[in-house]
Amino acid sequence: MKRILTLSLVLLGLAGLVFANGTQEGSTSKGSPIVLMQNKPEIGAALSAYGDAWSKTSGIPITIKSIGGTSNGLGQQLQADYAAGDMPDIFVIQGLQDYKQWQSILLDLSGQKWVDQTSVPFKDNGKVYGFPVSIEGWGLAYNADLLQKAGIDPKSLVDYGAYKAAFAKLDAMKSALGINAVVSMAASPGMSWVVTDHNFNSLLSNGLPYGDLSVVNALLAGNVDSSRLTQYANWVQLLFQYSDKAILTTGNYDAQVNAFATQKTVFLHQGNWVDPNLKTAGVTFKMGFAPHGSMNTPTDGIFVAAPSFYVVDKNSKDVAGAEQFLNDMVFTPAGQDFIVNKAGMIPAFKNIDLEPSGPLSKSVEQWMKAGKIYSWNQYYFSGDFRSQVLGPIYNQLATNQIDEAKFIQLMTDAFKNRKN
Amino acid sequence: MKQKRSAATLVLEALALILFLAYLIPFALILVNSSKDAFAVTANPMALPKDPGLIFKNMVSIWTNNNIAYPSSFLSSIIITVLSVVVLNLLCSQAAWVLVRTKTKFSQLVFLMFVGAMVIPFQIIMFPLLSWFREVTAITGIGLLRTRFGMIFAYLGFGLSLTVFMFHGFIKAIPYELEEAATIDGNGKFGVFYRIVFPLLSPIHATVIVLNGMWIWNDYLLPLLVLGKGNRVQTIPLAVANFAGAYVKQWDLMLTAIVMAIIPIIVLFLAAQRYIIKGIVAGSIK
Amino acid sequence: MAKDRNSTVVFWVFLTPVLFAFVMVIIIPFLLGVFYSFTDWSSSAGSGAGLKFVGLANFVQSFTDPAFIYSFIVTFIYTGINVIVLNVVALALALIVTSRLKFRNIYRVGFFVPNLIGGLILGYIWQFIFNNAIPALGGIFANPDNLVLSKSATSVAALVIVGTWQYAGYIMMIYIAAIESVPQELYEAAKIDGAVGFQRFIRITVPMIAQAFTITMFLTLVTSFKQFDVNVSLTAGGPSTMFMGKPIFATQLLALHIYDTAFAANHLAMAQARAVIFFLVLVIISTLQVRANKKREIEA
Repeated sequence: MKRILTLSLVLLGLAGLVFANGTQEGSTSKGSPIVLMQNKPEIGAALSAYGDAWSKTSGIPITIKSIGGTSNGLGQQLQADYAAGDMPDIFVIQGLQDYKQWQSILLDLSGQKWVDQTSVPFKDNGKVYGFPVSIEGWGLAYNADLLQKAGIDPKSLVDYGAYKAAFAKLDAMKSALGINAVVSMAASPGMSWVVTDHNFNSLLSNGLPYGDLSVVNALLAGNVDSSRLTQYANWVQLLFQYSDKAILTTGNYDAQVNAFATQKTVFLHQGNWVDPNLKTAGVTFKMGFAPHGSMNTPTDGIFVAAPSFYVVDKNSKDVAGAEQFLNDMVFTPAGQDFIVNKAGMIPAFKNIDLEPSGPLSKSVEQWMKAGKIYSWNQYYFSGDFRSQVLGPIYNQLATNQIDEAKFIQLMTDAFKNRKN
Repeated sequence: MKQKRSAATLVLEALALILFLAYLIPFALILVNSSKDAFAVTANPMALPKDPGLIFKNMVSIWTNNNIAYPSSFLSSIIITVLSVVVLNLLCSQAAWVLVRTKTKFSQLVFLMFVGAMVIPFQIIMFPLLSWFREVTAITGIGLLRTRFGMIFAYLGFGLSLTVFMFHGFIKAIPYELEEAATIDGNGKFGVFYRIVFPLLSPIHATVIVLNGMWIWNDYLLPLLVLGKGNRVQTIPLAVANFAGAYVKQWDLMLTAIVMAIIPIIVLFLAAQRYIIKGIVAGSIK
Repeated sequence: MAKDRNSTVVFWVFLTPVLFAFVMVIIIPFLLGVFYSFTDWSSSAGSGAGLKFVGLANFVQSFTDPAFIYSFIVTFIYTGINVIVLNVVALALALIVTSRLKFRNIYRVGFFVPNLIGGLILGYIWQFIFNNAIPALGGIFANPDNLVLSKSATSVAALVIVGTWQYAGYIMMIYIAAIESVPQELYEAAKIDGAVGFQRFIRITVPMIAQAFTITMFLTLVTSFKQFDVNVSLTAGGPSTMFMGKPIFATQLLALHIYDTAFAANHLAMAQARAVIFFLVLVIISTLQVRANKKREIEA
C-alpha cells in the first residue's frame, strides 16, 4: 500500500515535471515579441498600455518590462540577461558610463526620422545611439505660498549669499510657518544618489555654459579648482545645516518628498519627477524651481537634461520593428499622448506641442524656454566612484562626523586618487 | 507548594504572552498599513486605517492587474514550490540512505562535499550558473533558463546540501536490524527502502518540507536570475518586487501583495503542524 | 555476489540524480566562478570585450582595499554577536514552547512566523520601525541624533536584532525536536533524586541536545556570515565611517560588499575573487566550529 503511494508520488512528480516543461517560454524567433526594458516603474503601467495599443495598430507584438527596486536594478538585470543570452531589444542607458558598458552591441540610430527633432540625443563619435526618453530638470523646489508668507522673493535666490540670508530668516520663522525645517534633503546611504548624482552637478556645471565640460575634465584628470570646490562645500554645508536632520540621515524617498508635500519644509531637493507623488498627496500649494546657490556669483538657471536614453540591441531579431516603435512614439498622436499626458514627462522633441500638467514640470519648461539651463554631468564619473567613494564622504558631513574643512580635503583626495 | 508554583507560572505566562505579542508587532503593522492608500501609509504609518475594507479592494486590483500577472505568478510559485519540495524529499532521502549504509571512502567524500557546499556563497555561483545553463541549453536543447523545469532543477541543486544533511543524521539513528529483518523477509533493496526506511523518516520529512517550502516560496535572487524579470514564468517574490520602483515604493499594493503571499504559507504551516507534531512525538517515543 | 551487485546498482540509482544536479548546479558554476576570479571578466558588451587572464591581481587588490578589509571585520563582529544572541533566544523560545505554559501551541506558530517573510521585506519593515515608529514614541527617542540607523554601532545592533527576529523561530524548531526527543524517564529519575528545574536543565537537557548544538551552531554561523537580504533593506550598507583614512560604509557586510563590487562597480571578476576569499574563510571557520562541537559531543 505504502509502496503504491510512494510510486504514485514519484509518477506524479515526473508528470508534473513534464507538464512544467511544456509551458516553456517561447524561444522561437517566429512571432516572439520585441522586448523593451526600462527603469521607471512609475510610468510602467502607462507604457505597457501604450505598447499594447501600438501592437494592435502596427501588428508587431511588443512586451514592456519595468525594472525597479534598487537604484541600479536595470543595470543588474541587463548583466544577468546578457549572461543568459536574453538581451532585450530596446533598453535604457543613462549616460557615458552605461554606454561604455554596452557599446559593442548598440545600433547606430543616426539615420532615424526623430534625430532631427531633438537637440539632446546620445551621441558618440558623431553617431547617434540613444533616443532621449524625456527631459528632466531640478533645482531647489520651493513652496511659493510659504515663501510669500515669509516675504522672500524666489527670483532673488540665485547665489550663496541670498540663500544664506533666506535660510536664516525662514529658520527663525519656523513656528510661524508651521515647518519642521527649511530644507528636505536626504543623504543616507540608500539615498546617496541625491547628493552624488544631483547635488554633485552644482560642482560640475553650475554657472557654466550648457555642455561645457571644463570642470569635469579637470576633475577627471585629478586637478581640483580649490576656490570652486570651497564655494561648493559651503553650499553643501548650508543645505545640510538647514535640513531636517532625521530625513537627512535616515529618511527614504517617500519621507523626503512627503515632508515637502505636507508643508513641513519650504524647499525640496528633488526634480520634476516628483510631480506624480505630489499629485497623489493632494498637494495644492504653488511651487516652482529656484537655482542652486552653490557659487558666490549669481547662477540663474536650473539643471535640465535628458538623463536616460532608449537604445537598440543591434543583434535584435526585429531591428525594423524596434526602430518603428521609437519613431511612432514621436510622430503619432497616440505616442505623443503617451509621453506627455499618460506618462507626465516633458518631451525631448520639437514637434510635440503638448505640455505636461505637473507644476514642477511646468516650471522646468519655463526655465527651458528662457534658455536658462545647466547641464547634467555626473555620468562622466562612474557609478562606483559616485556611490562607493563620494557617497560616504557626503554622509560623513551630513552626520557631523567631519567638518567642512575635512570634507573639502576628502573630496580633493578622492578626485586626485580616483582609480576608475 | 502548589501556591508558589502558580505564582511563578503566572509570571512566566505573562512574560511569554508579552514576548509573543511584541514578536508579532511587525505583522500588525503590515496588516494595518495594507488597508491604507499609498500616501497615508508613509504619512502616518502607526495610525489605524480609515477604511479597513481597502485591503480587499487592493487585493482585487492586484489580482486583476495585467501588468503584474499575480494569478499566474501565484500558480507558478505553487507548482515550483510543491514540485521542488517533492523532488528534494524523494531524491535526497534516497541518496542519504545509500550514503549512510555504504561505508566507503567515496560515499564519505560525497557526503562531505554536499555539506561543504552549504558554505559556498551564492555570489560566486550567480553569474557562472547563468552562462553555464545557457551553454547547456544551446548544446542539448533542453530549456533550463526561463522555464519551470530549470527552476526546479536549480532548487534541487541548491537545496540538496541541507536536505541530504538532515536525512543523513536521522537515518543514522534508525537501527540496522530493522533493515536486516526486512531483507530476511525477502525484500529487495528497493523494498527495504520504500517499505521500511522511507515511512520511518516522517518527522524529518515534515521538517524538511516546511524548511524547503518556506525558503523556495520566499526566494527572490535565484528566480530573478533563472527566470528573469517580466518573462512568462514568474514567482510571487518577483511579482511583488514589481511594486517597488527605483525611487517610489507603492507601499499599499506591496504590503497587500505580501499579505496575499503569506496567507497560503500560514495555512500550509498550520495544516502541516499536526503532522509535524505527530512526527516529532512518534520519533521521540522511539 | 548477486547481492553485492544489487547493492552497487541501488547505490548508483539512488545517488546519481542528486549527484548529477549537484555537479550541474553547484560544482561546475563554482569552478567557473573561481576561474573567472583570475580574469578581468565582466558580463557586459563594452568595446574591446574579451577575456584577459590577470592572475592574482584581483586578489592582491582586494587585500589592500580598506572597504573589503573593514567589511571582513564588521562581518566577523556581526556573526560573533548574532550567533550567540540567536541561539540563546531560540533556546529560550524552545523552552517556552516545550514547557507546560498555557498557549504554547499558539506561541510555537507565532515565533516561527517571522521566518515566513522574505528577508528583503523584513528589512524594510524594521527600517520603518527604527526610523519612524520608535521616534514616534517621543522623549529621547524623538531626538534625530538618537536614530538607531544613523550611527555605526547601533546599526550593527539593529542588524543583530532583525537577524535574530528572522531566524530564531527556524532554529527553535530544531531545538524543539531535540528537546522533545529527550526521554522523560531521565527527568523522572532526576526529580526523584531531588533535582530542581534549573539543575535538570543543565545536567540533563543540555548534554542530551548536544548534537543539536552542533547543527544549530553551524547553521547560525553560516547564515550570519552570509547575511544579505536584511543588510540590503535595513541599512543598505550605511551609515558611513572612517577606516584606514578612507570613508566607507559602516554596515556593509561581506555579501553586500561583494554584490556592490559586482554591480555598482561592475567589477564582476573582482567580485568573484572576493567571493572566493569569502568562501575559503567560511570553510575554515565552519570546519573549526564543527570539530570543536564534535569533541564536546563525544565528551558529553
